[in-house]
Amino acid sequence: MAVIEFDQVFKVFGTKEAVQDVTFRLEAGQAVALLGPNGAGKTTSIQMMLGLLKPTRGRVELFSHDPADPASHDRIGVVLQNVSVPERLKVKECLNLFRGFYARPKSLDELLDLGGLAEDADAMAHALSGGKTRRLQFALAMAGNPDVLFMDEPTVGMDVTSKRHFWDALRGFVSAGKTLVLTTHDLQEADLMTDRILVMNHGRIIADAPPEEIKMQFGGRQVKFSSGETGLAENMKGWPGVLDIQVAGRQLAVLTQDSDALLKRLFLDGHDIRDVEVGGGGLEEAFVRLTREDTPV
Amino acid sequence: MRALWSQWKADLLRTVRDRRFFVFTLIMPIGFYLIFIHEQRGALHIAGTFWSAYFMVSMASFGVVGASVNTLGVRLATERKSGWVRWLRTTPLSSAGYALSKIFTQLVLSLLIVVVVFLVAGLDQHVSLSAAKWIEIVLWIWIGSVPFAALGVLIGLAGNAAQVLGTLVYLALSMLGGLWTPIQVLPKTMQDIARVMPTYRYAHPAWGLLANRSIQWSDVLILLAYTVVFVALAAFIQRRMEAKPEA
Ligand SMILES: Nc1ncnc2c1ncn2[C@@H]1O[C@H](COP(=O)(O)OP(=O)(O)O)[C@@H](O)[C@H]1O
Ligand SMILES: [Mg+2]
Repeated sequence: MAVIEFDQVFKVFGTKEAVQDVTFRLEAGQAVALLGPNGAGKTTSIQMMLGLLKPTRGRVELFSHDPADPASHDRIGVVLQNVSVPERLKVKECLNLFRGFYARPKSLDELLDLGGLAEDADAMAHALSGGKTRRLQFALAMAGNPDVLFMDEPTVGMDVTSKRHFWDALRGFVSAGKTLVLTTHDLQEADLMTDRILVMNHGRIIADAPPEEIKMQFGGRQVKFSSGETGLAENMKGWPGVLDIQVAGRQLAVLTQDSDALLKRLFLDGHDIRDVEVGGGGLEEAFVRLTREDTPV
Repeated sequence: MRALWSQWKADLLRTVRDRRFFVFTLIMPIGFYLIFIHEQRGALHIAGTFWSAYFMVSMASFGVVGASVNTLGVRLATERKSGWVRWLRTTPLSSAGYALSKIFTQLVLSLLIVVVVFLVAGLDQHVSLSAAKWIEIVLWIWIGSVPFAALGVLIGLAGNAAQVLGTLVYLALSMLGGLWTPIQVLPKTMQDIARVMPTYRYAHPAWGLLANRSIQWSDVLILLAYTVVFVALAAFIQRRMEAKPEA
């Protein structure tokens, strides 16, 4: 069953085309990431999925209905960007408020547990630290025991510990067969949490594939070394897995999909190389290259 | 229904915890009442009744207008600005549910204010009326507050300016509408101005009830007209804001 359907969707703000010609379909049980740099159109897309924005052109459906219809909201949970929690309500009162909105809410204790907020149940929600506020927002999104969870950059501003706790909770959600939509500009997060990545840039989807494929297609590690050997760079261009070679004097920087195989060959063939460095978190590198080239408009 | 009930409970709780609400809508009217009544003597006659009863109505109206125009407006603006309203729109709570919850909350608060001010007047100044008269006046001040709730919604759209705007409008309307000083003692121009103020048209029927006059249609019609204007303006601005994207 389709949870979300985008059919040739455009969103224009004044003269700014925030989303252009986006078409995709998301099935129940998938965990998908909208991945892209700032300004790519991720937030605009997610807001259209939720009925907060209307597309300028094209069709957006949530559970085959108009996303703005509150009736289709009973099965979803949402974490938005830049939203604060209300003043003058305690944590547990916030949670109970949201529990009251849904037909089959989770219990208060379960939600406090999910957010790691058991000790803060009686604290004023507004006075929570940044990290705890994010956790409360997650617990609120889970209040209705949703089948589909939408999250716009959920881990921005989280410290490493909070992130890890949060990822664990999310993994539990996904492994229960539920549907997850998250936006992020962190390829590692997308890789960790989802089984499908839609890469967005300049309002368009420029890649739609499982993380492994994205990494395969765009990934790679950089192997740097110096060598006195002439013609080595030329020679290596034909090697399997080599994507790019840059030469600066005696320094070579080789971008490859398989650094292990490359090094093995370099050593086994007895090439004269020194000062070997393997670097570049392959994922980050891939992402930077993926979004660096301006996509044709 | 369940969603509306949940939202209403939270709204009530949040208002009761709001210091701004107590200062502007309970402490100020009661304080003014006690101060001006002792200075001016409650037994003075005015407009066919006693000053103690007349000013009781003025201050109850003053409090209710404050709760609607000022407190409600600021709360709506804050919720909108913080993105909370946007989040609520993704829940099963409908926009109508959200609006109804605010209206019900406002009605409870208005009733609370009227009853408290009347209690203070009754206890301190021994204002005494027949049971039917009490009920009539309470009901009028309660139900007649609708245009001010609509004005509160309008001011709630003013974003960062809501706090200043709300306070200014509320104080100006109260003063110009004769809630602070009876218009009988004001110069002619001020009286003419007062007669077109919604605040005057709101308190006027209640003052009349004190002197055994019945509610006049002109007052009701003018208040209705104000309501229509405020609601239409709010709807218009709302639509403009939705067409123009929010940040
Ligand atoms: N309300 C708006 N008004 C005008 N431009 C907007 C608005 N919202 C987003 N944009 C523009 O649309 C583009 C996409 O924004 P957004 O969807 O927020 O990107 P992302 O979430 O990927 O960072 C950006 O260039 C942004 O400036
Ligand atoms: Mg964004």
